[in-house]
Amino acid sequence: MNNWISPGVSRREMLTRCGAGFGTLGLAGIMAEAGATTTPLAPKMTHFAPKAKRVIQLFMPGGPSQVDTFDYKPDLATYEGQRPESVDRKSLRNTKNGLMKSPYGFRQYGQCGKWVSDIFPHVGEMVDEICFIHSMHTDIPEHAGAIMMTNVGHLQPNRPSMGSWLVYGLGTENQNLPGFVAMSPRAQPRGQAANWGNSFLPGTYNGCYVNIGQMHPERALNDLTNQLPRIEQREQVDLLARLNSLHLKRQEKDQNLEASIQAMEMAFRMQFAVPDVFDVSRETKATLELYGDSEYAKGCLLARRLVERGVRMVQVSLSIDGYDIAWDTGHENIVDGHAKLAQACDQGIAALLKDLRQRGMLEDTLVIWGGEFGRAPTSEGQKGRDHDHYGYTVWMAGGGVKPGYSYGSTCNFGLTAVENRVHVHDLHATILHLMGLDHEKLTYQYSGRDYRLTDVFGQVVQEIIA
Amino acid sequence: MTESDASQRKSMQMMNRLLMLLGFVSATAFGSGIVVALIDEAEVPPEQVEFFEKQVRPVLIERCFQCHSSDAEKVEGGLLVESRKALLAGGESGPAIVPGASDKSLLIQSIRYESREMPPKGKLRPEEIASLEKWVEMGAPWPADASTSEHVVMTADLPRDWDALRQNHWAFRPLAEESPPNVKDLTWPESDIDRFILSRLEVAGLKPAQRADRRVLVRRAYFDLTGLPPTPEEVHAFESDSQPDAFAKLVDRLLDSPHYGERWGRHWLDVARYSDGFGGFLDNQAQPHAWRYRDWVIAALNRDLPFNEFVRLQIAGDLIDGDNAAVATGFFALGPTYISDGGDPEATAQARSETLDDRVDTLSRGILGLTVSCARCHDHKFDPIPQLDYYSLAGIFQNTNVIEKPIALPLVIQQYDEAQHVIREREKLLEQRETELKKDETKLLSEQPQELATLRSGLQKLKDAAPPKPDSVHAIADGGTADMHLAIRGNLLRPGSVAPRRFLRIVAGADPIRFTSGSGRLELAEAVVSSQNPLTARVFVNRVWMHHFGKGLVRTPGNFGALGEKPTHPELLDWLTSRFINQGWSIKELHRDIMNSAAYGMSSRYDEQNFKADGDNRLLWRMSPRRLNIEAWRDALLAVSGDLDLQLGGLPVDDINSARRTIYLQVSRNGDHFQADEFMRLFDFPAMRATVSERLPNTVPQQYLFMMNNGYMLRRAELFAARLGKESQTNEQRIERAYRLLFSRFPTVDEQQIGLEFLKEQKATENIVASDDRSRMERYLQVLLSSNEFMYIE
Repeated sequence: MNNWISPGVSRREMLTRCGAGFGTLGLAGIMAEAGATTTPLAPKMTHFAPKAKRVIQLFMPGGPSQVDTFDYKPDLATYEGQRPESVDRKSLRNTKNGLMKSPYGFRQYGQCGKWVSDIFPHVGEMVDEICFIHSMHTDIPEHAGAIMMTNVGHLQPNRPSMGSWLVYGLGTENQNLPGFVAMSPRAQPRGQAANWGNSFLPGTYNGCYVNIGQMHPERALNDLTNQLPRIEQREQVDLLARLNSLHLKRQEKDQNLEASIQAMEMAFRMQFAVPDVFDVSRETKATLELYGDSEYAKGCLLARRLVERGVRMVQVSLSIDGYDIAWDTGHENIVDGHAKLAQACDQGIAALLKDLRQRGMLEDTLVIWGGEFGRAPTSEGQKGRDHDHYGYTVWMAGGGVKPGYSYGSTCNFGLTAVENRVHVHDLHATILHLMGLDHEKLTYQYSGRDYRLTDVFGQVVQEIIA
Repeated sequence: MTESDASQRKSMQMMNRLLMLLGFVSATAFGSGIVVALIDEAEVPPEQVEFFEKQVRPVLIERCFQCHSSDAEKVEGGLLVESRKALLAGGESGPAIVPGASDKSLLIQSIRYESREMPPKGKLRPEEIASLEKWVEMGAPWPADASTSEHVVMTADLPRDWDALRQNHWAFRPLAEESPPNVKDLTWPESDIDRFILSRLEVAGLKPAQRADRRVLVRRAYFDLTGLPPTPEEVHAFESDSQPDAFAKLVDRLLDSPHYGERWGRHWLDVARYSDGFGGFLDNQAQPHAWRYRDWVIAALNRDLPFNEFVRLQIAGDLIDGDNAAVATGFFALGPTYISDGGDPEATAQARSETLDDRVDTLSRGILGLTVSCARCHDHKFDPIPQLDYYSLAGIFQNTNVIEKPIALPLVIQQYDEAQHVIREREKLLEQRETELKKDETKLLSEQPQELATLRSGLQKLKDAAPPKPDSVHAIADGGTADMHLAIRGNLLRPGSVAPRRFLRIVAGADPIRFTSGSGRLELAEAVVSSQNPLTARVFVNRVWMHHFGKGLVRTPGNFGALGEKPTHPELLDWLTSRFINQGWSIKELHRDIMNSAAYGMSSRYDEQNFKADGDNRLLWRMSPRRLNIEAWRDALLAVSGDLDLQLGGLPVDDINSARRTIYLQVSRNGDHFQADEFMRLFDFPAMRATVSERLPNTVPQQYLFMMNNGYMLRRAELFAARLGKESQTNEQRIERAYRLLFSRFPTVDEQQIGLEFLKEQKATENIVASDDRSRMERYLQVLLSSNEFMYIE
């Protein structure tokens, strides 16, 4: 058992670890008086030894086309214009056209010789760290429902998000920061707050949303800034602690009252910890250059800074031009839309992988790239592609997955996952497994039954685990 | 199998035959594609039916269907395992079963991993293999009623002994006739309720807490009944009333306050998962008239509308009194109505199914305390609620539409409609002329604009003069009268047997009367409040108890089923429920009964011995300290800072800085649309997406960030300081006044001293505080407003 989340960390130890000097009264003293409690966010025991300690999800809403990115299908060129029986399946818009080859070139990268589209040259350089799953499939070819499926495991927005489940199951390692942070430049992915929402889980597990377009700490968390000098604010906080402890003495043995005294101290510390995360000025020039200056790359860098400080999960969603399902530029014309989107994120993603590797963090940080479904190899109109939920690609890196590995496959035209099919529920089960959680045991009772991220489905894909 | 079940089954088969002969495909909107074709098969004995349903069918569904059913994305090997006929026909390798000979059956060989390895993802468990072997040996009996079609019905409705089931679980039994038990200590009880409580405490060897201080009692009663703090003067008046009925009089007075309806209306709005709409992208419609339902609830509670009537109107008000009570059906109309955003058939069916589930869930958990929703995809695993019963209820809502119903006088509505009609006609004319004139090139260009301009200005005049849109309510209305089909595994695209519209059989017996009038909602409403149904009253009495004591007598207020908790005081619950019904379902009488007990008047003081024995306070040895909900806390902030607007009802406001009570702030279903949403959610206002059984207080640092740094709190402190400045002269007096306003008590000597010291430090630090000109008094009051004592009631 890894001892990185030891449940035995004492409250006092934790407070000391979290830093920030106490005022005249000292929280430790007050809390000792009040008796022991732990916060709901304190690190918790895993079900078994985890491979990964934290997750960075690079979410690509809108449906990136697998055959134009990472699922190379040379047959598309050979049979262009034809509509073989195997691709004659119903699509959302009932397109009836023939196959269309990818407008981009592909080349091989790395030791593993992976074919990658020319629109992802930086990610191409990193293929030896990546585990591709080409046999993903999901339930429906509509953005809203499929996005929900990806992020909350259900077609409607009425379940807790994956990040909320993770923080509920594992707690978080830094009590001065939220356990789950979701980010995107400008537009939030379709479904907005539901993508990081806690739904029926306690509010503590709600994801905290940060807009990368406005990288100010005060946008990250509400009410972070106090107008008073720190010492004077400390006077106020001490007064409150003192009055509350008098009240607690009268009431005695009330966990809620104890928890609130602790929460107040944490709030005080958060005021200083959160702006520190956002202060990227102390990063080296080399690091800043590695990431480049795209908005998405800023999100990637911030994601690294957050997980470095113990945040359990960070979701960075891509959007450009304020569009909430960015990759859905493919209906009319794949060429320009996909190239522009890839350019907006390629360098940042590769930089994140390199940066994590350099810091020795990649091995226990699980990075997940993908959208809610893919796009059909047949054409829609002249140059576009319709949605494809029968088969698409997601990749993962670090965090205990096999590096330089490809799992599962679509048919030879890329439409349908045929070999080693992986449903989104299976992906969720696998992610939880890598984090040391049994997806069938991570349950929460609500409205009379136990709920899981994977509902009643999901099988861990053992074959991709290193 | 009981006789009625058998005859019912026969009649259903007859019905199916009839439908087929008539060429009907299905009565529901989702039934297209079902072929109703009977296969003649021998009647399967009941024990074999049970074996098949429990041991065989689930394995086939869970482990084989993914590749071997008509819904599989690709049917492997041409084999379907969804009917006996299909198994006999087999796939590419030949018949899958040889009835009576498991060793010769390909199916069995495959699951044993002999001839091939099925399922490929992992071998079945030994007991699953054994069941299938046994079943083939039996001759592979497949119940005829459950496979009446090519498109096999995969869920059978098993015969059950409903009378025995009803006796098996406390919540389904009829109300017991209880009388208050004898107790040893005759001095403590003040009412019959107390004898129920005391008797259990005495058995456990515990002593009830002393009576709370008067200032604690008055504060408790004010917050409990009106959600507002008492003024120092009101506290003083009660403290000096030495009459023995002083507290009873106080309770009467508070029950008469119009603010009672606001406090208890909000409790009910939680049950009704009330919001102003905006559920996000799949149910994002605005609900601009929602507030009329909210005001109806407040008024109904204020006039003590009997609870049975209160419920009846919310289920079927449109059918009972269309002109006045349609607004009450906002109970259902204000729930999420999901859509699909691309018209994909799977997604559309899912959205519909989810919408129906909202209605069934709100009705069942909210009013009946049952988790009927768990029976959406299969029979309820713990409670006697078959899947068929879920669709018996869902069918009622399948025939019910959400509408916006104008509530103005008929003449006003008519005038509006007529004016709109004329406007539409003129618009058409204008459009027509525009097209004609464009084509008609012989006309001089200069003539065109003149004519069109005249038409346009005439149209504008009509629009200006038209009467405004009449007021409306969100309501429901009947839209059909057909039974729906059970949805196999919850998928509406896979219809099973017909689910007749009727009430739950665990309540109404083996063969409940069918609901046939319109959607069946009126009949449903009657069944819900019928004297045969002990749940509705029990569940509500428990909720009222919960809001007075912090926890219900049943600590799972939305689940009285097998997985819920048993009542801590079952006799008391039944006694109180019977009394509630006998008192004409009067909610206010129920409050009087509860609040005039010694149990309600107990102090919340800690007692080490009692705490060790019963730390959870299940036996009620003290009053549990409770945190104020966000509504009461914000209202109290407004009240003490002298900034509270007590106007009742009306349009909601989207501004937390408003002086209006918190119940009038706009909230969205998704919690991310209105300005108040974030603030409300921060303090545990629950997601209004499903009926809320209980609010669970959650303490998080962000709440303190709000209290320390948010302008709202700074403004409260500023107003509070200004108020104290006017009302008192010295700092001593101000501290005293603040404590009386905030906590309904005087400060202790210590607290006075601490306060004075804090205020005095002003001079020492004055010079460095350039960035912030808030006075020491404001900072001090901000701390008091943020204190636990202000947020908790003893």
